[in-house]
Amino acid sequence: MSIERKDDHDHVDWLRDKDLSPVESTFLFVLIWMDKRLRIVDYLELLETMYYRWNLQMPKSHTEQYNLDNKFWYWYPLYALGSFSTIAYVVAAISGALLGFYYSPSAAAQTCIAGLEGSTVAYCSITDIMTSLDFGFMLRSLHRWSAQVMTAAVFLHMLRVYFTGAYKEPRELNWLLGIVLISLTMVFGYTGYLLPWDQLSYWAGQIGVEMALSIPLIGEWAAQLVFGGFSPGQATLQRMYILHVFLLPFVVTTLIAVHIGIVWMQGIAEPH
Amino acid sequence: MSDDEPTTDDDEPRADGSGTGIVPPDDETPTWNERKSRRDGLARVTYEYFERSRREDEELRRESDYVERDVLGFPTWPHEMIRNLSLTAFFVGMILFLAAMLPPHIAAPADPSTTPSIILPDWYLYWSFGLLKLGPLNPDLAILGGEKLMADRTYGVVANLVVVGFIAVVPFLNKGSARRPVEQPFWAAVGVAGVVFSFTIAALSAKNLISSVLNPHLLFDLTFLAPIVAGTISYAVLKTMREGYMYDLNRRYYRLRPPK
Repeated sequence: MSIERKDDHDHVDWLRDKDLSPVESTFLFVLIWMDKRLRIVDYLELLETMYYRWNLQMPKSHTEQYNLDNKFWYWYPLYALGSFSTIAYVVAAISGALLGFYYSPSAAAQTCIAGLEGSTVAYCSITDIMTSLDFGFMLRSLHRWSAQVMTAAVFLHMLRVYFTGAYKEPRELNWLLGIVLISLTMVFGYTGYLLPWDQLSYWAGQIGVEMALSIPLIGEWAAQLVFGGFSPGQATLQRMYILHVFLLPFVVTTLIAVHIGIVWMQGIAEPH
Repeated sequence: MSDDEPTTDDDEPRADGSGTGIVPPDDETPTWNERKSRRDGLARVTYEYFERSRREDEELRRESDYVERDVLGFPTWPHEMIRNLSLTAFFVGMILFLAAMLPPHIAAPADPSTTPSIILPDWYLYWSFGLLKLGPLNPDLAILGGEKLMADRTYGVVANLVVVGFIAVVPFLNKGSARRPVEQPFWAAVGVAGVVFSFTIAALSAKNLISSVLNPHLLFDLTFLAPIVAGTISYAVLKTMREGYMYDLNRRYYRLRPPK
């Protein structure tokens, strides 16, 4: 061994010495190139952890672990409801994003169907989607049905959690988070219900305004904040639209991620 | 480590397919700080890490023609993932089918001057809408000279909060390790009563619609009686089922996990 230190950084020469496959040498070359600039090795431990995670094996299920004769618990199919609602949420998000290209939240008067009085721009954009746009009727139908399915699945999911006692320690916080999520799902549905601005929407909006007004002390303030006035109008429609397409998607998606993340961390509560 | 377990020359466990082939980090695995303080440089560590795993792979391939990992449960990849994908495809297909078979229609445009005879929100808010119609339950206080403390509308909004609040505190009221309805007949009965109440209160919200079939006063009474009856029946049934069911369950289960 010579006294002079070898150059640790002569990677190219070092790569030539090693008998590596083209893929490996390319990979290492890129790795070294990146490492010189980004110090990837500082994150090596993370990579290592990921390696072990990736190769993790499924733990024994509760029934296997305690040798419960692998008895089939007849409620297991209901354990899919949470993921079913998530899937429906994704479908609703995709179809909703597509609908968003064609919908405009305006209560200004517009006549789009001959002989139909009192239609608005919002109403007409929906009828246009349904009659003029290719696959528009299907798109709206899909959005509506995925929303209905999501809401139904969320309700049934809550019932399943209740009747299997899955909300008990240590899962109380996730139960509370679930209540927030089911409420937000209903707000999601309500704001979407108002967007077509037909008779049903308008009078559902009227009920909402009245509910907000009847909150003690802050009623008028709440009605102004959420509905933009004391009777449904342009401001209401616009607020519902922004809630539906901007605010709620971010909040609900984040909360769903946290909700599922907690389930991942805590494991699924089996009813044994 | 037992003596008969195969090892390589440097006494490391040999990965030959009998184990997982994965060696978790132990005490001798250098920590981040140790690695950083080495004079050899980070590049060398990287190289050694990858070189070592490559050598390990080669040895594995040389020593057995088929490398098999022990699987304790259902492997995430590919089994579980493929199962998930097929379930997802099935569910999405169901939504597509519904959307194609039962397309929604649109009502007449909004008209502030004509109040429709039936005002209803979407179905999942019927229960909440029904709670707004609890006016007859709103007590009028003698002190206030028969005046109501809260407006009926306020009373309905508060009723909503009470229902949601009750659901929220359930985990803090019902503790213990019981999981199945037969193990906890009372809470199962509360659940059944709640489900029935959500339906009856939904029916109450549409009392205009069903007033031709059912007297509104009778409907109002049934709204609160039906849940109690359903809850009582399910309590009785579960209590009856309990003995036989718990015998089975105790035999195989509570030996392993004693109740708190």
